[in-house]
Amino acid sequence: MPHFTLSAPLNTGPMLDMVVTASMPRLLALQAEGQPVPVAQNIRALVDTGASCTCIDPAVLLALGLQPTGKTLMTTPSTGVTPVEADTYDVCIVISAPGNQQPLLKAVISVCTSELIHQGFHALLGRDILRDCLLTYNGSAEFFTLAY
Amino acid sequence: MALEKELATFKAKLPDLKEHQGKFVLIHGDEVVDFFVAYEDAIKAGYGKFRLEPFLVKQVSVTETIHHFTRHILPFNSARAA
Repeated sequence: MPHFTLSAPLNTGPMLDMVVTASMPRLLALQAEGQPVPVAQNIRALVDTGASCTCIDPAVLLALGLQPTGKTLMTTPSTGVTPVEADTYDVCIVISAPGNQQPLLKAVISVCTSELIHQGFHALLGRDILRDCLLTYNGSAEFFTLAY
Repeated sequence: MALEKELATFKAKLPDLKEHQGKFVLIHGDEVVDFFVAYEDAIKAGYGKFRLEPFLVKQVSVTETIHHFTRHILPFNSARAA
């Protein structure tokens, strides 16, 4: 089972690097239309079991030249009890593992968007991805392991 | 507003879509194009047919799915940001 272990300092929590690109179907459409292919974005994500869906800062999605392909409802402590409508985008997410292990790949996944950069990261890695993983969080030793 | 027309189509035709509960519907403008078991297949079909034109992919559900976040974040909506 591919896996990796990273530090999870008390003040920042479990964070990892991941690569976000336009989804393959969108890349093919861009090529078919003679449009330039956007450069993949290397971003920092917080592993968040309190997020039901992976969420990415709009600046990242803007850099990829994406347009929304969906709408969903979100609730957060900031929205109150009434769900708020939000755009969703189809993206490809790749999380590398050391050695010759295969990466964690989500070739076409729907993500929500919210401004996150001011919190020190670009994305919340939510349970839509974690549902396919085994997450071990060792708080006292300040590390976490993700297997998939 | 992004996908305004497609979302209006989804809401207007939702009573007719309920027999496709759980599937992902592809909508372009006021046209309900097709239904798919997998989100990925709906996205492939959308880009394959409409290339870079706007289209909506949404799961058909009697009770709409709500995504919950315990962190203090504000959902981003391109319509509100514009």
